[in-house]
Amino acid sequence: MIKAGQIEKGTALLIKGQPFLCIEREFVNPGKGSAFVRLKLKSPATGQTLSETMKSQDNAEDITIEDRDFQYLYNDGENFSFMNTENYEQIEVPMKSFEGYEFLMKEGESYRLTMWEEQVLDIQIPSKVVYVVTETEDAARGDTVQGVTKDAVLETGLKIRVPGFIKQGEKVRVNTETKEYIERVNS
Amino acid sequence: MNIRKFFLERGYLEVFTPTLSDSLIPEPTIKNFETEFINEFMENRKLYLIPSPEIFMKRMIASGSGSLFQISQCFRNAEQLGRVHNPEFTMLEYYTMDYTEEDSIGLTHEFLKETALPEAGESVTGKPIIMSVKEAVATYSHFDLDKTQDVKALREEAEKRGHHILDEESWDDTFNRIFISDVEPNLPKERPVILTDYPEQIDCLAKKKNDFYRARWEMYINGIEVANCYKEETDKERTREYYLKEFDKLRKERENSGEVIPNIDLSFCDIDMKESSGVAIGLDRLLMAETGKNDIEDVLPFSFRKMLDV
Repeated sequence: MIKAGQIEKGTALLIKGQPFLCIEREFVNPGKGSAFVRLKLKSPATGQTLSETMKSQDNAEDITIEDRDFQYLYNDGENFSFMNTENYEQIEVPMKSFEGYEFLMKEGESYRLTMWEEQVLDIQIPSKVVYVVTETEDAARGDTVQGVTKDAVLETGLKIRVPGFIKQGEKVRVNTETKEYIERVNS
Repeated sequence: MNIRKFFLERGYLEVFTPTLSDSLIPEPTIKNFETEFINEFMENRKLYLIPSPEIFMKRMIASGSGSLFQISQCFRNAEQLGRVHNPEFTMLEYYTMDYTEEDSIGLTHEFLKETALPEAGESVTGKPIIMSVKEAVATYSHFDLDKTQDVKALREEAEKRGHHILDEESWDDTFNRIFISDVEPNLPKERPVILTDYPEQIDCLAKKKNDFYRARWEMYINGIEVANCYKEETDKERTREYYLKEFDKLRKERENSGEVIPNIDLSFCDIDMKESSGVAIGLDRLLMAETGKNDIEDVLPFSFRKMLDV
């Protein structure tokens, strides 16, 4: 048990038997009265978000979570398959809990998973990742001026806008939260 | 400078009252910073950093100062370090003689218009949207506050809305829970919002307006609580009753937690408070709103979080 005032972004809680991760926390002190925390919680299993307002002194049931490294193998349209890099055990994670992650993760690459017992609560994707551009039209002459962007498809199938000068086969660094191009990477 | 000019031009007296005080008024929800006065020829004395200058300003009003204002540093201990909280903050407090809380709305709007930085938008300088707490609860939480004046009725409404209420929870705690989750986040942000007529059950030194509500308002800018206003209580009996009750709450709470009870001055109950309305504005939060910042740290170069590196 912890006090609600101790909950932070990333704290895992058990609510009615379901694990939730705190994704937002704000302290509120009413002009007169006890201190409160306003929480936004997310169920990794269903993606459902929950708003909860608790007094700072209220008890909350926290759960111990740990990070483990897994290699991403593939997805079959319903589940992501991962392999534990220590004991080679394979696990499946429903894709609907991590919508769009198939466009961010590279097969064969290692990812850190936040686990509660045997349940995957979070797949940690670095905020900046380098991808290979697999499809993009060559810029028309004159379109390479600054500010002109075009569509590109990356090795994971992610579609983004890139500057006109980027060529097929080149590497780009991408912000995985906003899915926006950051810079070209020379290798 | 604009702030001072605004009040001085209107004949308010600027005062500077102590930041260190040897006694406090009973405020069970506020924890204080404590220090010690040391003098080798007398006994050491405990001193407190003030949580607000209210007590001193009201004493000056009682002794006939007339309308007055102060910009002061205030300190609240044990508060969480968040987006809108820093344990040391700057408060503007102004009292206008013979004003009601409604008169203070006009004055405060004028104040915001005249003193705001040029970059401040309509969310600060616009005409305030005025609604009563009852209206706000009806709009955003869809129930009638008049009909939920007892703990049981309010608890039922709260539970219907999925709130988890503790068994021993008081009316005002349950109300705050609903208010903080349903009402506050949904308040309009395009102009300042003034919520008037706070429930009578949230006890404070604002005069009663009727059976259910008090002459008190709070102002929200960009959804953040920035100001609080009372039509000040002048009835000595009521004031004494209020402070004794608060003192009792504070004593019980601190005895349970084993915390030291600060030195409380109840002689404050006997001052001759004059008919007036007082407003307190958190200037750091106001500056956040005027400059469009989202975190109090962005307007405090030496915030606690930066100092403590947390």
